[in-house]
Amino acid sequence: MSVALQSEAIDVAAEYAQLVGDSPGAAVATFTGYVRDHSDQHAVTELELEHYPEMARKVLEDLGHSAVERFGLSRWRIVHRFGQLAVLDTIVWVGAVADHRGEAISACEFMMDTLKTDAPFWKREQGPAGDQWVASRDNDTARRARWQSGEAQ
Amino acid sequence: MSGSVKITIKLFSALREALGESEFQLDLSDISEASALVDVEAIKKQLSQRGAEWKEALNQPNLVHALNHKVVFTDAVVTEGDELAFFPPMTGG
Repeated sequence: MSVALQSEAIDVAAEYAQLVGDSPGAAVATFTGYVRDHSDQHAVTELELEHYPEMARKVLEDLGHSAVERFGLSRWRIVHRFGQLAVLDTIVWVGAVADHRGEAISACEFMMDTLKTDAPFWKREQGPAGDQWVASRDNDTARRARWQSGEAQ
Repeated sequence: MSGSVKITIKLFSALREALGESEFQLDLSDISEASALVDVEAIKKQLSQRGAEWKEALNQPNLVHALNHKVVFTDAVVTEGDELAFFPPMTGG
């Protein structure tokens, strides 16, 4: 039931063990995001992730609390990296524990869809074609909107 | 009231890069008379006077404004000690 912002790699096994603890509950769902080796148009070799530390922590903590209210989670965790990342590095990890699989899976999707558009992180891709800031995607905004409209539950 | 009324301005990502600054203090007493309220829009107008690149950067349609770590509209009122950040849409995850 916490947030971590870190420059080092995410230890997914350790995060899972800590989330589950001694009493796993009935349903545990997690999501791990990795750095892709390509964007829509070109190859990517490295990624720089800028963030606004104080706001990022607040937004992600509020998001965890929203997920508890919405899906009745007994535990949750959000880990997000910042700084210089290599291809296939972990960027983000979220975990949710609930009584049923539907709530656990939906909570992970809700946390990911929301953090994409609401948490202050900005990706800058580096590759043979040069460096460039990643533009926000309409698809991300649309996925976020589903949770606000009630279309997704 | 006399003297300075300072707030902190923060810039991130492409905005920080385009304007060459990441954080600075702004004195609201330079913007408003005595008791008049200052909102985010008034601060954008004030900063836009710093030059063409400021005007362009702060008036892009998808600019995000966060006051004390919360996204706000441009009519949000800013007071002493506040932290106001400007940045492009977020692309984490």
